[in-house]
Amino acid sequence: MTNTAPPTADAQPAPGADDVAASAHRIAKVYGRGDAQVIALDAVTVDIPRGRFTAVMGPSGSGKSTLMHCMAGLDSVDSGEVYIGGTDLTKLKDKQLTRLRRDKVGFVFQAFNLVPTLTALENITLPMDIAGRKPDREWLDRVVDTVGLRPRLSHRPTELSGGQQQRVACARALASRPEIIFADEPTGNLDSRSGAEVLTFLRDSVTEMGQTIVMVTHDPNAAAYADQVLFLTDGRIVDTMQRPTAERVLERMKGFELPGAMAR
Amino acid sequence: MMGRVTLRNLAAHKIRLVLTAVAVILGVAFVAGTLIFTDTMNGRFDQLFDKIGKDVAVQVRGTALGEGTDDQGEKERGPVPAALLAKVAAVPGVKNATGNVTGYAALVGRDGKIVGDEGQGAPQLGINYTPGALTAIVSGRAPAAGGEIAIGDAMAKKTGYQAGDRARVVTTSGVQPVTIVGVMDSGDMMGATTVAFDTATAQRLMLKPGYFTDITARSTGVPEDVLRARVARVLPAGTEAITGTAMRAESKDAIASFMGFFRALLLSFALVSIFVGAFIIFNTFSMLVAQRTRELALLRAIGAARAQVTRAVLGEALAVGVVGSTLGIAAGAGLAALLQGLIGSGGGLTVTATPIWVSYLVGVLVTVVSAYFPARRAAKIPPVAAMRDDVALPQRSLRVRVAAGALLTLAGAALIALGLGGDGGNPAAIVGAGAFGVFLGVTLLAPVISVPVVKVLGWPFTKLFGATGRLARQNALRNPRRTAATAAALMIGLALVTAVDVLGSSMRASVGAQIDQQFGADYTVSGTGGGGVSPADAKRVAAVPGVRNTVPVYVGKALFGTAKGNSSYIAGDVAALARAARLDMISGSARAGADGVLLDKKTAEKRGVAVGGTLTAAFADHSTVPLRVSGIYEKSDFLGGIIAPAKVYLAHADKPVVDTLVIDAGGATKAKTAALKNAVKDNPALKVQDKQAVKDQVNGQVDQFVNFLTILLVMSIVIAAVGVVNTLALSVTERTREIGLLRAIGISRLQLRRMIRVESIVIAVFGALLGMGIGVAFGAALQNALADDGLDVLAIPGGTLAIYLAIAAAIGVLAALWPAWRAGRMDVLKAISTE
Repeated sequence: MTNTAPPTADAQPAPGADDVAASAHRIAKVYGRGDAQVIALDAVTVDIPRGRFTAVMGPSGSGKSTLMHCMAGLDSVDSGEVYIGGTDLTKLKDKQLTRLRRDKVGFVFQAFNLVPTLTALENITLPMDIAGRKPDREWLDRVVDTVGLRPRLSHRPTELSGGQQQRVACARALASRPEIIFADEPTGNLDSRSGAEVLTFLRDSVTEMGQTIVMVTHDPNAAAYADQVLFLTDGRIVDTMQRPTAERVLERMKGFELPGAMAR
Repeated sequence: MMGRVTLRNLAAHKIRLVLTAVAVILGVAFVAGTLIFTDTMNGRFDQLFDKIGKDVAVQVRGTALGEGTDDQGEKERGPVPAALLAKVAAVPGVKNATGNVTGYAALVGRDGKIVGDEGQGAPQLGINYTPGALTAIVSGRAPAAGGEIAIGDAMAKKTGYQAGDRARVVTTSGVQPVTIVGVMDSGDMMGATTVAFDTATAQRLMLKPGYFTDITARSTGVPEDVLRARVARVLPAGTEAITGTAMRAESKDAIASFMGFFRALLLSFALVSIFVGAFIIFNTFSMLVAQRTRELALLRAIGAARAQVTRAVLGEALAVGVVGSTLGIAAGAGLAALLQGLIGSGGGLTVTATPIWVSYLVGVLVTVVSAYFPARRAAKIPPVAAMRDDVALPQRSLRVRVAAGALLTLAGAALIALGLGGDGGNPAAIVGAGAFGVFLGVTLLAPVISVPVVKVLGWPFTKLFGATGRLARQNALRNPRRTAATAAALMIGLALVTAVDVLGSSMRASVGAQIDQQFGADYTVSGTGGGGVSPADAKRVAAVPGVRNTVPVYVGKALFGTAKGNSSYIAGDVAALARAARLDMISGSARAGADGVLLDKKTAEKRGVAVGGTLTAAFADHSTVPLRVSGIYEKSDFLGGIIAPAKVYLAHADKPVVDTLVIDAGGATKAKTAALKNAVKDNPALKVQDKQAVKDQVNGQVDQFVNFLTILLVMSIVIAAVGVVNTLALSVTERTREIGLLRAIGISRLQLRRMIRVESIVIAVFGALLGMGIGVAFGAALQNALADDGLDVLAIPGGTLAIYLAIAAAIGVLAALWPAWRAGRMDVLKAISTE
């Protein structure tokens, strides 16, 4: 973990509190001990602006997934604070954290997004079922229509294509109107066309519904759908880019991929 | 609702859950079958006693000898004088006063064997004919003179005898040629047979002329307790009156207490089955949870609370428990009906609410409790696991496990030692709890033990099958906890079977040595079933060429010293008996004289008497005799603790019965054996035995005991086998991708199946070895504890154990059949692309 990265990102000016959906303040995470020690996050500070689509990029092992897991309350941090909608996640007990995930956070994972024994519709309403809440029918209809899955609602995940599965996952994330959606390489397992469908859908949900989305990806084309891109290397945010395009992202990535890889 | 996730998962994992349910079904069937069967038997006996004692308001009988009961829970009573009948009949309110005679009388069937003597313990009753519910004549007429009998209808049906047929009856007065003059409506007597004589003949053959066993009377309408009090006022000393209700209750209680013992025995074996089933359930749910780690993590990620995940898994267990219990109860009822049919009793099952709710409680509770730990672990899956490829459940360190296992094993062993030492309130429960602790402890240790053992067990297969063998061995080593839990289920059953076998072979060896040491006679002739050796039989035996001397041995009951309950004693020519049984005299002499008595060391200590001291004996005829202790001997397995001269017995017995004839024939030869058997061939109740025959008989009894317990334990081994199937099937599913890969790079179906089979064999044999190790230790501990009671030789049945090992390997092969077939059938491409 040396050179190349100008430590400017850590000093980014924070937008006004109202405009921030989630933020991290000097969070650190270390895996392993002694020689096997890996610093996954090295005092990262970041704000996720509300109503926008943020992509997190970085080479393998850069800590991008860890950052997302920690910000989403899926994993604990060793130090620092994580806020979602003004709540400090690091102060929460498991029960409160579970409730927060259930009520305020939506997830889309790379794979194994759906409970295989439930139908598409049951998967979509699962978070509300777990919470014992009735889904908002009107909103649910709108989400289902936007995703374009109405004819397949009664199908099991195994009967859906990969792209359809990811769209069901997106619909599930949206259905409970969370404060923020975290997507972990949502197109990682998809062909480019299905990937484009899913990304368009995510983009639309930000533009049209005002949803806040954080997406981890290593694909510059996917990152190009975002409003801004955060670049991570060796557990630090090394750069940000507004209104990205695939070419500019690719160009930027080339800059630190090699040294970062060698440092491992 | 998470309930939907539960339900869908049940539907998605049908086969696995069916296998789990099998464990529940078998365990619950055992419990329900036991309860229903014993309830049914109790009910049938109650009905029988109600029928026998129907309308009896008062019973008059001899007072009991002593306050307590003997070691068989029985009381000894003398007969009542026949003259009392007229006195009782004269009491106002008494109607139909009847004098009853009850004794031993066994009908000899057309096949020359005794009717109803199939070793089920039901008695061959001889009675005097009196009009009553069981004696209503359905064909022919009532017996009226000597040489005439009536028999029960069930017996008539079984033997084909009809009124007018001639037959033989074995009684305490020898074999009687008789004519069957009538058939009585006795119905189902639960295996017992009834032969009715006229009263005078019954008294002469079975009791004592001028006496009745008891007198029963009905009431003209007077309440029975009032009537009882009136009758009691006319009774002489030594007799008592009880109400009919009390009489029926006594009979019922006696059977109920026997049934209670039988039930407790069966239930303790059912408990073993359930304990083994708990392992299977635990293992299955552990594996189901492990396989669904990502799914459960996903649920956690999208907001399911820990408790919700736990409940979802427990919900599945609950459903399996309820369905398994329901089927188990049905299977248990079937089992009870089968048992009932087996002992030849008809008439439907008695199913009360208790067996049902107890079975549900046991089945559901065991399933849910066994699944609780996997469910708790499921809840501990971190949500982040949903996004990782290398998901692993949080595992606790094996070090803690080993420490806990060692501690539990030691504590269990200590409890067993304590229980076997006879300290504490309930030795059986303490030993049971100790065994439970050892099983759990060894199960905890098993993962650590499994690694080296499986390496060694797998070694021949790696030489035999090369890569396939190596893969199989690695698979068995991969998850030592799972291998251990699967093997542990098999371990329990085999440990108990082995312990029983060690006990059995030790019994054979010990008793064999005792017979060699103590059986000093050439032959014994003894009666089975209570008939004894009649004077006529004895005369015939004495007349056999080569027979030099015959010594009659009697078995009596008396109240000795200050004891509360009566004790059995042996009576006969004391000096001859001491020679025949090779008594080891410690002090005094075996020459007892007319009023002398010999005691063994333990009895002498217990009664606090020494040689030259006096021991009083009270008899059922209400007389008390002081006996002089003339000698004290080391424990004798043949003669028991008290030996008295024949005169003592003969003076106080209503109907003296020679239990055994001890014969000196100057050595046993085949010709003499044949001649003796020929001499008593008319009486099928007599058996002639030389030393070897006595050994054979004991060995036969030991075999019966071992077989009975083994059959009861087979259920737990079957359940464990189901567990091996389950583990393998789940392992195969879990390794779908890997199996696809192996198939893709060219492993054949045959090799794949072999790989799974070898893994299965290795696990099963490991379990068997663990079990046999524990079993030998248990057996040796039991033998050691019983050494003072005659079990002084420890014998380990090597051949039997080798057979068990082979059976375990066979179980391994069988258990692998289905999982191996499934693995071989997998589509290669699909297997690789599976998530």
